Amino acid sequence: MFDRLGEVVSVVLGALALGYLIYEIDRRKRKLSDLFYVLDNEDADISAELMDMVESGELQPYTRGGRA
Amino acid sequence: MAKTRSGPRPPMPQNNPPSVNEGAVIELPVRARPRKSRPSGPPRFRIFIIDSGWNSVARRVLRHNFALVRRLHRDDPIYLLSRKRSRDFIHRHRSLIGRDPIIAVHDLDAIQQHYGNAGFHGLHLHLGILRTPRQVLTALQAFARFLRVHRESPDLEPDIRSELRREGIVGTVEILLHKVPRVIGG
Repeated sequence: MFDRLGEVVSVVLGALALGYLIYEIDRRKRKLSDLFYVLDNEDADISAELMDMVESGELQPYTRGGRA
Repeated sequence: MAKTRSGPRPPMPQNNPPSVNEGAVIELPVRARPRKSRPSGPPRFRIFIIDSGWNSVARRVLRHNFALVRRLHRDDPIYLLSRKRSRDFIHRHRSLIGRDPIIAVHDLDAIQQHYGNAGFHGLHLHLGILRTPRQVLTALQAFARFLRVHRESPDLEPDIRSELRREGIVGTVEILLHKVPRVIGG
Protein backbone atom coordinates (compact mmCIF):
# COMPACT_ATOMS: atom_id res chain seq x y z
CA MET A 1 0.00 0.00 0.00
CA PHE A 2 2.69 2.46 1.13
CA ASP A 3 5.04 1.28 -1.61
CA ARG A 4 2.42 1.99 -4.21
CA LEU A 5 1.70 5.44 -2.74
CA GLY A 6 5.40 6.24 -2.67
CA GLU A 7 5.72 5.31 -6.33
CA VAL A 8 2.78 7.51 -7.29
CA VAL A 9 4.19 10.46 -5.34
CA SER A 10 7.60 10.00 -6.99
CA VAL A 11 6.07 9.87 -10.45
CA VAL A 12 3.95 12.97 -9.81
CA LEU A 13 6.91 14.90 -8.39
CA GLY A 14 9.11 13.84 -11.28
CA ALA A 15 6.47 14.91 -13.79
CA LEU A 16 6.10 18.26 -12.03
CA ALA A 17 9.86 18.83 -12.05
CA LEU A 18 10.08 17.93 -15.73
CA GLY A 19 7.10 20.15 -16.55
CA TYR A 20 8.65 23.07 -14.69
CA LEU A 21 11.93 22.57 -16.50
CA ILE A 22 10.24 22.56 -19.90
CA TYR A 23 8.19 25.62 -18.96
CA GLU A 24 11.27 27.50 -17.73
CA ILE A 25 13.34 26.67 -20.82
CA ASP A 26 10.47 27.71 -23.08
CA ARG A 27 9.94 30.97 -21.14
CA ARG A 28 13.60 31.90 -21.42
CA LYS A 29 13.72 30.95 -25.07
CA ARG A 30 10.77 33.25 -25.76
CA LYS A 31 12.37 36.03 -23.74
CA LEU A 32 15.63 35.64 -25.64
CA SER A 33 13.93 35.86 -29.01
CA ASP A 34 11.96 38.86 -27.77
CA LEU A 35 15.18 40.54 -26.65
CA PHE A 36 17.04 39.84 -29.91
CA TYR A 37 14.11 40.25 -32.21
CA VAL A 38 14.65 39.29 -35.85
CA LEU A 39 12.90 41.55 -38.35
CA ASP A 40 10.96 39.93 -41.17
CA ASN A 41 8.02 40.81 -43.41
CA GLU A 42 5.68 41.19 -40.42
CA ASP A 43 7.73 44.18 -39.32
CA ALA A 44 8.00 45.70 -42.76
CA ASP A 45 5.86 48.73 -41.87
CA ILE A 46 7.97 49.55 -38.79
CA SER A 47 11.18 49.41 -40.80
CA ALA A 48 9.69 51.19 -43.80
CA GLU A 49 8.80 54.17 -41.66
CA LEU A 50 12.34 54.43 -40.30
CA MET A 51 13.76 54.11 -43.81
CA ASP A 52 11.40 56.82 -45.05
CA MET A 53 12.58 59.14 -42.28
CA VAL A 54 16.15 58.67 -43.46
CA GLU A 55 15.35 58.97 -47.17
CA SER A 56 13.34 62.14 -46.63
CA GLY A 57 16.15 63.70 -44.61
CA GLU A 58 13.95 63.87 -41.51
CA LEU A 59 16.59 61.88 -39.64
CA GLN A 60 20.27 62.71 -39.88
CA PRO A 61 23.11 60.47 -38.73
CA TYR A 62 24.25 61.22 -35.22
CA THR A 63 27.14 63.56 -34.89
CA ARG A 64 28.43 64.56 -31.49
CA GLY A 65 26.00 67.01 -29.90
CA GLY A 66 23.21 66.55 -32.40
CA ARG A 67 19.92 64.66 -32.12
CA ALA A 68 17.10 64.26 -34.63
CA MET B 1 36.46 79.87 21.68
CA ALA B 2 38.60 79.27 18.66
CA LYS B 3 41.10 76.52 18.90
CA THR B 4 44.67 77.29 17.97
CA ARG B 5 47.11 74.68 16.87
CA SER B 6 50.07 74.28 19.01
CA GLY B 7 53.21 72.25 18.72
CA PRO B 8 55.70 71.87 15.90
CA ARG B 9 54.35 72.14 12.39
CA PRO B 10 55.01 69.23 10.04
CA PRO B 11 57.55 70.00 7.33
CA MET B 12 55.94 71.43 4.15
CA PRO B 13 56.36 69.27 1.04
CA GLN B 14 58.80 70.58 -1.56
CA ASN B 15 57.03 71.92 -4.64
CA ASN B 16 59.92 71.55 -7.02
CA PRO B 17 61.56 68.19 -7.39
CA PRO B 18 65.30 68.54 -7.17
CA SER B 19 65.95 67.22 -10.68
CA VAL B 20 63.94 69.97 -12.46
CA ASN B 21 65.45 73.45 -12.75
CA GLU B 22 63.18 76.41 -12.19
CA GLY B 23 62.07 78.02 -15.45
CA ALA B 24 63.13 75.05 -17.59
CA VAL B 25 60.73 74.15 -20.38
CA ILE B 26 59.94 70.49 -20.67
CA GLU B 27 58.88 69.42 -24.09
CA LEU B 28 56.30 66.68 -24.05
CA PRO B 29 56.86 63.95 -26.60
CA VAL B 30 54.80 64.33 -29.70
CA ARG B 31 52.32 61.50 -30.31
CA ALA B 32 54.50 58.88 -31.92
CA ARG B 33 51.77 56.57 -33.19
CA PRO B 34 49.95 57.85 -36.23
CA ARG B 35 46.17 57.79 -35.95
CA LYS B 36 44.53 55.04 -37.90
CA SER B 37 42.54 56.39 -40.78
CA ARG B 38 38.86 55.51 -40.84
CA PRO B 39 38.16 52.57 -43.09
CA SER B 40 36.21 53.68 -46.09
CA GLY B 41 33.48 51.79 -47.86
CA PRO B 42 29.73 51.73 -47.77
CA PRO B 43 28.10 51.08 -44.39
CA ARG B 44 26.65 47.64 -43.79
CA PHE B 45 24.05 48.66 -41.21
CA ARG B 46 21.81 51.53 -40.29
CA ILE B 47 21.35 51.75 -36.56
CA PHE B 48 18.37 53.51 -35.00
CA ILE B 49 17.89 54.24 -31.33
CA ILE B 50 14.29 54.62 -30.28
CA ASP B 51 13.71 55.74 -26.72
CA SER B 52 10.46 57.31 -25.62
CA GLY B 53 11.93 58.12 -22.20
CA TRP B 54 10.62 55.62 -19.67
CA ASN B 55 12.68 56.14 -16.57
CA SER B 56 14.17 52.68 -16.78
CA VAL B 57 17.51 51.12 -15.92
CA ALA B 58 17.92 50.32 -19.62
CA ARG B 59 17.76 54.01 -20.51
CA ARG B 60 20.45 54.88 -17.97
CA VAL B 61 22.78 52.06 -19.03
CA LEU B 62 22.35 52.93 -22.70
CA ARG B 63 23.09 56.60 -22.08
CA HIS B 64 26.18 55.78 -20.04
CA ASN B 65 27.57 53.49 -22.73
CA PHE B 66 26.40 55.27 -25.84
CA ALA B 67 29.78 56.84 -26.63
CA LEU B 68 31.40 53.42 -26.60
CA VAL B 69 28.69 51.90 -28.78
CA ARG B 70 29.15 54.81 -31.18
CA ARG B 71 32.91 54.27 -31.32
CA LEU B 72 32.54 50.52 -31.91
CA HIS B 73 30.17 51.12 -34.82
CA ARG B 74 31.64 54.24 -36.31
CA ASP B 75 31.51 52.76 -39.81
CA ASP B 76 27.73 52.63 -39.70
CA PRO B 77 25.44 55.64 -39.30
CA ILE B 78 23.50 55.88 -36.05
CA TYR B 79 20.19 57.70 -36.00
CA LEU B 80 18.90 58.90 -32.66
CA LEU B 81 15.21 59.57 -32.55
CA SER B 82 14.30 62.35 -30.16
CA ARG B 83 12.03 61.55 -27.25
CA LYS B 84 9.03 63.12 -28.98
CA ARG B 85 9.72 61.40 -32.28
CA SER B 86 10.18 58.07 -30.47
CA ARG B 87 6.91 58.57 -28.61
CA ASP B 88 5.05 59.31 -31.85
CA PHE B 89 6.71 56.37 -33.57
CA ILE B 90 5.81 53.95 -30.78
CA HIS B 91 2.29 55.37 -30.71
CA ARG B 92 1.93 54.33 -34.35
CA HIS B 93 3.50 50.90 -33.73
CA ARG B 94 1.94 49.84 -30.47
CA SER B 95 3.59 46.43 -30.35
CA LEU B 96 6.75 48.32 -29.35
CA ILE B 97 5.27 49.85 -26.19
CA GLY B 98 7.32 48.90 -23.13
CA ARG B 99 10.14 47.47 -25.22
CA ASP B 100 12.11 50.66 -25.61
CA PRO B 101 14.90 51.71 -25.52
CA ILE B 102 15.14 49.81 -28.78
CA ILE B 103 18.20 49.53 -30.96
CA ALA B 104 16.95 48.81 -34.46
CA VAL B 105 19.52 47.59 -36.93
CA HIS B 106 18.76 47.44 -40.63
CA ASP B 107 20.99 45.18 -42.69
CA LEU B 108 21.52 47.15 -45.90
CA ASP B 109 22.90 44.09 -47.74
CA ALA B 110 19.79 42.04 -46.93
CA ILE B 111 17.53 44.93 -47.92
CA GLN B 112 19.34 45.14 -51.25
CA GLN B 113 19.16 41.38 -51.78
CA HIS B 114 15.44 41.16 -50.96
CA TYR B 115 14.61 44.40 -52.75
CA GLY B 116 13.25 45.98 -49.60
CA ASN B 117 12.05 44.79 -46.23
CA ALA B 118 9.87 41.93 -47.42
CA GLY B 119 12.06 39.20 -45.89
CA PHE B 120 14.73 39.28 -43.25
CA HIS B 121 16.14 42.80 -43.05
CA GLY B 122 17.61 43.31 -39.62
CA LEU B 123 16.99 42.97 -35.93
CA HIS B 124 15.85 44.83 -32.86
CA LEU B 125 17.38 44.80 -29.43
CA HIS B 126 14.52 45.41 -27.00
CA LEU B 127 16.39 46.64 -23.95
CA GLY B 128 13.22 47.83 -22.23
CA ILE B 129 12.17 44.30 -21.32
CA LEU B 130 15.21 43.84 -19.09
CA ARG B 131 15.08 44.72 -15.41
CA THR B 132 18.58 45.02 -14.00
CA PRO B 133 21.58 47.10 -15.13
CA ARG B 134 23.69 43.94 -15.38
CA GLN B 135 21.24 42.29 -17.76
CA VAL B 136 21.08 45.42 -19.91
CA LEU B 137 24.83 45.81 -20.05
CA THR B 138 25.36 42.12 -20.90
CA ALA B 139 22.77 42.30 -23.68
CA LEU B 140 24.25 45.52 -25.03
CA GLN B 141 27.73 44.01 -25.07
CA ALA B 142 26.53 40.81 -26.74
CA PHE B 143 24.69 42.85 -29.34
CA ALA B 144 27.65 45.15 -30.06
CA ARG B 145 29.96 42.15 -30.31
CA PHE B 146 27.61 40.29 -32.64
CA LEU B 147 27.28 43.22 -35.03
CA ARG B 148 30.99 43.84 -35.05
CA VAL B 149 31.94 40.18 -35.58
CA HIS B 150 29.35 39.52 -38.29
CA ARG B 151 29.71 42.84 -40.09
CA GLU B 152 31.29 41.18 -43.12
CA SER B 153 28.99 38.17 -43.13
CA PRO B 154 27.47 37.46 -46.55
CA ASP B 155 24.19 36.36 -44.97
CA LEU B 156 23.40 37.66 -41.51
CA GLU B 157 20.15 35.82 -40.88
CA PRO B 158 21.58 32.29 -40.38
CA ASP B 159 24.27 33.83 -38.16
CA ILE B 160 21.62 35.37 -35.91
CA ARG B 161 19.57 32.19 -35.82
CA SER B 162 22.56 30.02 -34.95
CA GLU B 163 23.72 32.51 -32.29
CA LEU B 164 20.26 32.49 -30.73
CA ARG B 165 20.19 28.69 -30.84
CA ARG B 166 23.61 28.53 -29.21
CA GLU B 167 22.54 31.06 -26.57
CA GLY B 168 19.40 28.96 -25.99
CA ILE B 169 21.41 25.77 -25.52
CA VAL B 170 23.79 27.54 -23.14
CA GLY B 171 20.75 28.90 -21.28
CA THR B 172 19.27 25.40 -20.98
CA VAL B 173 22.51 24.02 -19.61
CA GLU B 174 22.68 26.90 -17.17
CA ILE B 175 19.11 26.23 -16.00
CA LEU B 176 20.02 22.57 -15.48
CA LEU B 177 23.04 23.67 -13.47
CA HIS B 178 20.88 26.15 -11.50
CA LYS B 179 22.76 29.14 -12.87
CA VAL B 180 21.26 32.34 -14.22
CA PRO B 181 21.60 32.44 -18.03
CA ARG B 182 24.05 35.14 -19.11
CA VAL B 183 22.04 37.38 -21.35
CA ILE B 184 18.50 37.38 -20.08
CA GLY B 185 19.18 36.90 -16.39
CA GLY B 186 16.37 35.81 -14.07
